[in-house]
Formats: sequence, C-alpha cells, structure tokens
Amino acid sequence: MNIAEVEAKVKEIIANVLVIEKEEVALNHRLIADLGAESIDFLDLVFQLEKEFAIKIPRGQLEKNARGNLSQEEFETAGTLTTQGMQALQQYLNEVPAQYFKANMKVSEIPALFTVETFCKLVVSALNEQKLCEEVSA
Amino acid sequence: MRFLFVDRILKLIPGQEVFGIKHVTEEDSYLNRDEYGKLYFVPSLIGETLGQLAAWNVMLSNNFTLRPVAGVVAQAKLYRHAYVGETIALEAFIDCLDTTAVQYNGIARVGNTIIFTVSGALGPLLPMSEFINASEVREQFAAINRPGEWPISNPLIDIPPSISNPQLPNPMLHFEQVIACQPAITLTAAKRITKAAPYFLDHFPKKPVLPMTILLECKLNLAYEFAMRAGFNRNYKVSELRNIKMSSFIHPGDVVLCHVKVTAHNDNILVLHYRAEVNGKRVCVLELEMTTNNDPLSRPAAGERYDQN
Repeated sequence: MNIAEVEAKVKEIIANVLVIEKEEVALNHRLIADLGAESIDFLDLVFQLEKEFAIKIPRGQLEKNARGNLSQEEFETAGTLTTQGMQALQQYLNEVPAQYFKANMKVSEIPALFTVETFCKLVVSALNEQKLCEEVSA
Repeated sequence: MRFLFVDRILKLIPGQEVFGIKHVTEEDSYLNRDEYGKLYFVPSLIGETLGQLAAWNVMLSNNFTLRPVAGVVAQAKLYRHAYVGETIALEAFIDCLDTTAVQYNGIARVGNTIIFTVSGALGPLLPMSEFINASEVREQFAAINRPGEWPISNPLIDIPPSISNPQLPNPMLHFEQVIACQPAITLTAAKRITKAAPYFLDHFPKKPVLPMTILLECKLNLAYEFAMRAGFNRNYKVSELRNIKMSSFIHPGDVVLCHVKVTAHNDNILVLHYRAEVNGKRVCVLELEMTTNNDPLSRPAAGERYDQN
C-alpha cells in the first residue's frame, strides 16, 4: 500500500470534514494554515479515516510516530521540542517544507505542520501495520 | 431554569454504558406545542439529555477531572416527540474512551418506541476545572445516581397535560431575525447570545458557552421558517440532523450568523446545509433533512418569530 493508493479517498474525507470542495485539497496543503482546520477537525478526521479504511489510529499516533525511538524526555522538555526531537520530527514529516519548522517549537504546535500527505502516510502506515499483524497471526 | 436533564441514573458501568430516565412534565422549561396544542419536550434537548447521560459516565470514569464537550455528531434521528406525561428511557453506549475524547451512541425510547437516536457522537475531553468545580459536579451526580431496575418494567402513567398551561414557545430556541432570504435557495439568520439566558447557569458556571443543542434547536426551527418562506406545496418535517460539527465555543456577547442553503430538493425530501459563523469564523456546520413521509415532528407553534425583511 502506498500514498497514491489512498490519496483520492483521503482528500475526499478531508474535504468532507472541512466542508470544502474536493478540488481545493492538494497533497501539500497544511490542514490548519491552508485549509482552515480547527482542532475538532483533527478528531473528526481521524474518526472518519478509521471508519473508511477500517483501521485504528490511536490518538497522538502522529506524534508517537515522529518520536520514533526517542524517549519522551529526549523528544521534548517542558513542552518544547529538543534538538534531537526536532530532528526526529523533520525526518518523520519529510513532506513538510523546512521553513515551517521553527526553533523552540512546542509540542502543541506540531499539528500546524500536518499536511494532507501526512494523513495519507498515517493511513498507509496503519494499513501496512494491520496487514503485517494479520500475516503474523495467520 | 436548569440545563441538567437526566432525572435519574438507573444503571452505570464506567466506560461502557449508562441507563437513565427523564420525565417530561409541565414543570419542564423547554417545551413547545405541536400543531394540536400538545406540549412536547424540545427535540434537540432529547439529544442533549443523551449526551449528558453519556457525560455522567465519562466524568465518573475519570474521577471528575475531565468533562466532555460538544464536538461531532455523525447522525441524530428524530422519530417522534416526547410529550408531557411521558417518561423517556435513555441509553448511552460508549464505544471508545481515553483521556482526550469519548465516542458514543445513544437511544431514547418512550415505552417500546424509539423516539430519538444519536450515532457516532465524538466529544473532546477538557479539564473540569475550566468549567465547574469538581465538587459541585460530584454533588450533582450523587443526587441523580440512584441505581434501580433496568429496563423499566412498570407501565408508564399517561398524564394528560392541563389545557390551561399558557406556556409559549421559547424565544431562546429561535434565531432572532432573518437578515437575508432568497426563497427556496438561501437564507441567513442572526442570533445575539445574551448572558441572561438561563442555561448559562449550568453550562457552565465558570465558563458560560452556548449549548450545541440549543443552537441545533434554533436551526431546526429555522428549517420550518425556510420552508414557509419558500412556499413549497409540501408539508416537510424535520427527520434527521447529520454531520454535525461544533468547531468553536460560542460565548455570551457573540452574534451568530447562520447561512442556510438547499443541497437537495424533490417532492419527498428537502436537504439543507447550515453554516453558523461568529465574526466570519465557522462555529457549527450540519446537514438537516426534512421529509414528507416520516412520523410527524410538527412545526413548533412559533407564530411569527422573525422580523420580516
């Protein structure tokens, strides 16, 4: 499974959630700054993606994915990303242009970076993980 | 006038399910009259009551540290009114609960008849301390948590409402003014939110915000206004609200502008899209369906509530 396979459906769901036209949604758009998403929209979006793709996306999964192998303390201190944390985040969100990562970024500001592609990646990773679990248990 | 609607919690399994009742009586503050003059409990507030029932479960589960607030509702279906003299049996089932949000479904019945359902409700959890003292909520919970037999087995007593009740439809459940209208195409209405509204006492003492269900009821009533102004030759009744999303709190002092437009229309169905804004920012969207062949949810006897333009 790859991004191209889920892109159309993810765009459609994002358009529905944000009550905008599908044509207004591009892969590189940031949900908050470019498409006007509010925090409740993220909750709704994850719920809709779970339903459509029959996957489970635990809340905070994107941050968890970004953190990778780093511990919480290595990733952030008092709500602010560490240097290591920022590197990990940039590596994970490699679809986001570098200029959007600012110094001393707070964890609470991470969602402002999420693009349409970020959610495509999230779906692909959940689908692949699910497939892997099915294969292991078979 | 309180904004707490569950009369009694009969059974509660934390994080899973909760059952309760609400009696609809003449003492209720939020009543409307149907076209035959019978008093009924405002439909959107049946949804509010189910939401409050689920919220009691959630708040107990997290030891009253977090409370759910209105977020997203995939579908709310209205089957029939709950009239004065009837008792609503309430059930809420929690699909998913963590420290950030709750996802639940709810069913309201009168006797064996389903009168209202809520599906796919998703509410973010916020710190209790922002809204109300935890001790006050605990006391409110203790007052209504009286476990008992479920399902209710005793026959419900039909108490006819007194015909002399002079209660009029509640102005707080309507938009104040229609400010633009292209009949059968679009309509824009306005409502100023005043701190004097009685629901702010409970919703919430430390942070007054407009209950989503009050806004929904205003929108439901606006649908009848839209249909009336359109001059359709069909008698449409509201049957469903869906894809409801509240994206921001509405505070006292705000002015809500609500834009309505038709997205589908034929002899049997009328679908309206609503977008409510405060200062140009989206606060609540939904889709409302009216049909001609459902059980009657008649137009509230609101009279001419809107200024003509």
